Parts: sequence; structure tokens; C-alpha cells
Amino acid sequence: MSDSIDSGQVMQARVLANRLRQAIEATFATDSDLQRRGALVDTCCLVEIGAEQLLLTIRGGRPIVSERIPLLGSWEFAIRAGSDAWLALWQPVPKPGWHDLFALCKRGAMRIEGRLQPFMANLQYFKDLVTLPREGGSQ
Amino acid sequence: MNAPVFEPIVGRYLMVPVLGQQCRIYTEEAGSGIPLVCLHTAGADARQFRHLLCDEAVTSRFRVIAFDMPWHGKSYPPPGWQNSEYKLTTELYVETIRAFCAAMALERPVVMGCSIGGRIVLQLAHAHGGEFRALIGLESADYQQPWYDTSWLHRGDVHGGEVCAALVSGLVAPQSPVEYRHETLWQYMQGGPGIFKGDLYFYRVDSDLRGKLTGVDTRRCPLYLLTGEYDFSCTPEDTLRTAEAIPGAKVTVMEQVGHFPMSENPAQFREYLLPVLNEIFGEKA
Repeated sequence: MSDSIDSGQVMQARVLANRLRQAIEATFATDSDLQRRGALVDTCCLVEIGAEQLLLTIRGGRPIVSERIPLLGSWEFAIRAGSDAWLALWQPVPKPGWHDLFALCKRGAMRIEGRLQPFMANLQYFKDLVTLPREGGSQ
Repeated sequence: MNAPVFEPIVGRYLMVPVLGQQCRIYTEEAGSGIPLVCLHTAGADARQFRHLLCDEAVTSRFRVIAFDMPWHGKSYPPPGWQNSEYKLTTELYVETIRAFCAAMALERPVVMGCSIGGRIVLQLAHAHGGEFRALIGLESADYQQPWYDTSWLHRGDVHGGEVCAALVSGLVAPQSPVEYRHETLWQYMQGGPGIFKGDLYFYRVDSDLRGKLTGVDTRRCPLYLLTGEYDFSCTPEDTLRTAEAIPGAKVTVMEQVGHFPMSENPAQFREYLLPVLNEIFGEKA
């Protein structure tokens, strides 16, 4: 992490990462439609929020969120964006151009990279999963 | 016993010769008056216009006609399709529309198209404007920057219907009613294998109209362009840039609407469309 990064930004990224983790855990604590739709999802992905990283290990559609990436930890694909992009995406009514993962990618505010087959084969699942902190989800 | 409750839409199959191939095209219509031919988006079908077809404020003055392009919806591909890859071209798209209008014996219809349909009305305005009473482009631009790798749309290890729907789901505005959002996505889930991708061949490769839209006479054939603010594929900026090159083209940016206005939020869409149709109807009077 660069020394030049403002401590407020670090704190905001931490808050947002925590918000995503809590939203995922709360959703999957009860019977989740998302788990039904993702029943065949079996992968590891990295979600980067500013300087924060979350590793999602997904088995049978159920993600386990790790905030500490182990040394030599690996994942199949990564979804990376700054805090401002995630914050905009998670607004109850997001602004045009900030309302979808690909809208963010198109404007250069998000990157999705790595081995994308598991992501594309379960695209709506992943869109919905990382948008859980939005009130009402990505619907 | 209660009487059956039918919508006013009537569907039929029409034989249409297109560039030497006989096509069996499924078409729906309702209303009477000025013919209003509706063109669906890439990878979808004419169900997108079901709300418009049931809107008495429209059908009392317009004969609304929406057809499934060959390879889409209830229109089969032409015979022999199994031996070729589907690729929509500008020529094929223009001739399909013109052949359909001729087979229906429509006299100077209004044509309204969305997305790829919005692109092709620009070409119609440029090359065949005299054949139409007015043209309406929804989510229409002379060019859009491609924003993803379309090879994901048709491959063995990704379900085509699901990935097509998930890709376009972000093009629906967050405010659109949940029921119609998912109806719109269902259309994409039901597309034939490779058809959305084949339509995008036209959109991305074969129809860059930048600098080519000379000679559009909007006095003879008015041109209206309406684009949703949540459409990040064909953005309002794309439409405004397109209109700058066409004297007389009228642009409306629609709030709280995405890439599928007639399908994702019909109530919001009609607020923008009705003034356009009023103007076209007034021209007739």
C-alpha cells in the first residue's frame, strides 16, 4: 500500500469491504435465491475495493469471504474498482453510467480480469453477488 | 361462463421474399390508421412492443405492426440455415424491412426501431427516406464504441441465453418495473444460439455510419431520435453527436429509461413517444 494513499480513503475502502462481506454473509445465512441460481458455481475470485481485497471462495453457490489473502493465495478472476465506483454502484438508485459492472468498466472505473469463464458462465449471479450492498440488490 | 379475455393483438405469418430467399415472418398488429412498423433490438423479438400494441392512445390512430426478424422469435431462419453462420448485414437488414413493408402493401409507413433498429432507421433515412412518412430511432446512433468481446455470446462452455440476458441486464434502468425488467431479459434468454452475436455483426462491423448520413431530408421524412439516460451502450451523447450531422433531426433524452424503453418501462416511454406520434399524426392532418 502506498504511503501517499489518504488515510480517509483507506478507512472508506475498509468500511465498504466490510459492508460487502456483511451483505454476503447475511444473504447466505438464510435460504437464498442467489444460492439456488449459483448452485453450480465453484470458483475463487478476488474483489478489490480501493486498497482492500476480499477473497470469495465459492462452493455450490455459497461464498466464504476471507479478508486476509494467504501468502501465495490464488484466484481465477478479479473484480477491481476504487471506493468511489463501488459506492456509486451501491446507491439505492445509482446514477446513469454508475449502475452496472459493465457501465463502470466502460467508463474505466472498474476492471474485470483473469480467467473469465466462471464469471461469464454465471454472469448474473456475480453481478447480483457484488451488488448485494445496494438496497434491493441489482434488481 | 366468462367470455375469453383477449388482447387486441393479432398475430399471423407472412411470406416475404428477401434477397432471393423466401422467409416466413411472424408479425403482430393492432389498431388502424397510419402504419407504424416496429423493429426489435438485437437478439430479441417483437414481444418488446406488446405494450405499445395495446395502447389505445396509439392504436386509435396508428396501425401498429411488429414483426420478428428472420432467425428471431417465431420467425424461422430461411431454409438451409443450418449450413451457415448467421450474420446480419446492413444490406440484408434494409432489404428485410423494405420487403416486409412491400409484402404488407404498406403505403409510406412510419418505421420505429430500437438499438440495431435505431441504427437501421438512420440508413433508411439516408438511402430510402422517400418511402417513409417518418422515422423514429430509439437508442439510435451512427456508431457506438464496442464495449465487450462478443465471442462470449456463443460458445459451448457458457449458456448463450443466460449470458446474453445477464450482459444486457445492466442496460435496463434501475427504475424500470421488476416485472418488465425480467420480461425483457426473458426475451434474451430465448434467443437462438449465436443470433444476438450475429445481429451485433451488423451493429459493430457492418454499419459504421459516421460521416455517411448525407442527404437526409427531414422535411420530407421527419427523423426523431429518443435515447434513455441509462443506456451506456448507445449513450445520449452518441445520439446527440449523430443528430448534429443531420439537419432537422429531433432528439429526446428519456429519463429513468435504459436501452429497451418500450419493453422495460412502457409507462415512462409513452410519455416521450406520444408527443412524437402526435406530431406525426398532425403532419398527416
